[in-house]
Amino acid sequence: MSAAPTAYRPLNPRRILVLARHTFTQLVRMKVFYFLAVFAVVVIGANFLELPTDHLPENAGTEILYTVKNTSLGCMSIFSLVLAIVATGLLLPKDVEDRTLYTILAKPVPRLDYLIGKWLGVVALIFVSLMAMTLLMNLVLIPHTSKVMQLQISAAEFAGASAETKAKIAEDVRALGPTWNLQAAVLVTFMRAMVLAAVALLLSTFSTSTLFTAIVGFLILFIGFFQADAREIYFGKDSGLAGKAASGIMTVILPDLQVYNLIDAIVEGKFLKAFDLLKVIGITAFYCVTYLFASWLVFARKEF
Amino acid sequence: MEPAVEIQNLTKVFRPQMGGRPVKAVDQVSITIAPGEVYGLIGPNGSGKSTTMKALLGLVAPSSGTCRIFGADSLAVDSRQDVGFLPENPYFYKHLTGAETLAFYGKLCGLRGQSLKDRTTELLELVGLTEARDRHLGGYSKGMLQRIGLAQALIQEPRLAILDEPTAGVDPIGSRQIRDLILSLKERGITVFLCSHLLEQVQEVCDRVGIIFRGRMIREGRLDDLLAIEDQTEIILRDAPPDLLEEIAALVAARQGAELIRSGRPRTTLERLFLRETVERENP
Repeated sequence: MSAAPTAYRPLNPRRILVLARHTFTQLVRMKVFYFLAVFAVVVIGANFLELPTDHLPENAGTEILYTVKNTSLGCMSIFSLVLAIVATGLLLPKDVEDRTLYTILAKPVPRLDYLIGKWLGVVALIFVSLMAMTLLMNLVLIPHTSKVMQLQISAAEFAGASAETKAKIAEDVRALGPTWNLQAAVLVTFMRAMVLAAVALLLSTFSTSTLFTAIVGFLILFIGFFQADAREIYFGKDSGLAGKAASGIMTVILPDLQVYNLIDAIVEGKFLKAFDLLKVIGITAFYCVTYLFASWLVFARKEF
Repeated sequence: MEPAVEIQNLTKVFRPQMGGRPVKAVDQVSITIAPGEVYGLIGPNGSGKSTTMKALLGLVAPSSGTCRIFGADSLAVDSRQDVGFLPENPYFYKHLTGAETLAFYGKLCGLRGQSLKDRTTELLELVGLTEARDRHLGGYSKGMLQRIGLAQALIQEPRLAILDEPTAGVDPIGSRQIRDLILSLKERGITVFLCSHLLEQVQEVCDRVGIIFRGRMIREGRLDDLLAIEDQTEIILRDAPPDLLEEIAALVAARQGAELIRSGRPRTTLERLFLRETVERENP
């Protein structure tokens, strides 16, 4: 059987796709999507919750919108981060233990393609799950938003508000509903999970157990939420060149997850600037490429 | 002709990560296998058989020496297009069916579309798993797993099959089926490099064998040459009357220097007896 020599070069898209699809199928058949049923129950349950908010007339009815958004995005965050760390950390040790890795690497499969395929498979699963959750969140938010809008406009009419004021009220309520901004928050959640999956992949290249990968992965996640503050304390603005270098190295080794905190601002109805989104995309790409490259450096030399 | 396998002075030393004494798993081993040959590597547990095979597949890097497959360095990815590998006790992905397993490995080797479907069907037929093609591997028996493992090893029509303990844990019937499959590979001109503990099976299928012990190759050669006892001759007679046997014994006794060591009924093997009483009885 002959094939073009280029087929054996790393980063072959077809081969990576085969591995990614396989990983996706493997995780789906591990019944990971059962979590979506839990999510549906939580979001539908959120309809009946009332978060404490100020009861000013202009805020009438908006509590439910905050509740649904907070609960949905919270669930999405938990699900995507747990899946990114645990699923990625599970795959490599399992392949080594079951010796399926031998049969794959004994085929003309470069190790880099194997790693990227596994990572993309997990990332695809997280993406599909987040899409399903987003759809459900939007389906719940749409009727609530129009209900709140009607309520507030009726109140404004009763108070004799001008058409301009009513238009402003409608705009404000719409900003709390299923906006493009809110979909961007889901995108940011997804990007954060991509980074964590890349971190877990790196960990699993030198760890031999899923437990170790999961524990260290969650530790890195925890540090990631606070490391920007820690950098500020230890290497503040007056720390000099050495301090700045140390701060930079720390940011590369451990991902700075505070970058992704703009999700909270979006939930509050604040507008996400295109520049901020592009910045997050750029940082995500940097982290993913860095961790995948480091994974390959370790994995390429690994003996089985 | 270019050898299918060329291992030259292979040495592999494992250095424990937490310190401790380095372990020399393979020590200056050289093996050359001609295309179309069936070569058996035998040796006790921990003698270096699997490490030699892994070095040939690029799963471990040699400490010194070289491994080549049809002239290509075994550490290079392209050398693996010509190799099919069946590891010892393979598990594979339980969530895939037999057909999906072959399709997955076929796609990794660049096969697509109708040619992949045809190849999958052909191999499932070859290993006798056509009826189990849509069953998940989680429900396969040990023998079936070995056979699907052999099928995945052959998916890209490799010129070399490397089989690590292909009959480990398989019952005598499954073991015989795998033996027959190895012989059919030989008929197709595929080079086979196997290691096994079942010496009788190695004897049945291999053209040449190497005996490895404590990482070193201690004997190697054609099976017939290694097994022949130079100073003895075997005569097997059918329906010989007792008086003829007595005459032969007298003739030998009369000749100075020659000695009749043993005469009696040749024995079948326990494996042959088992197969005759089971499979052959079921399918007379």
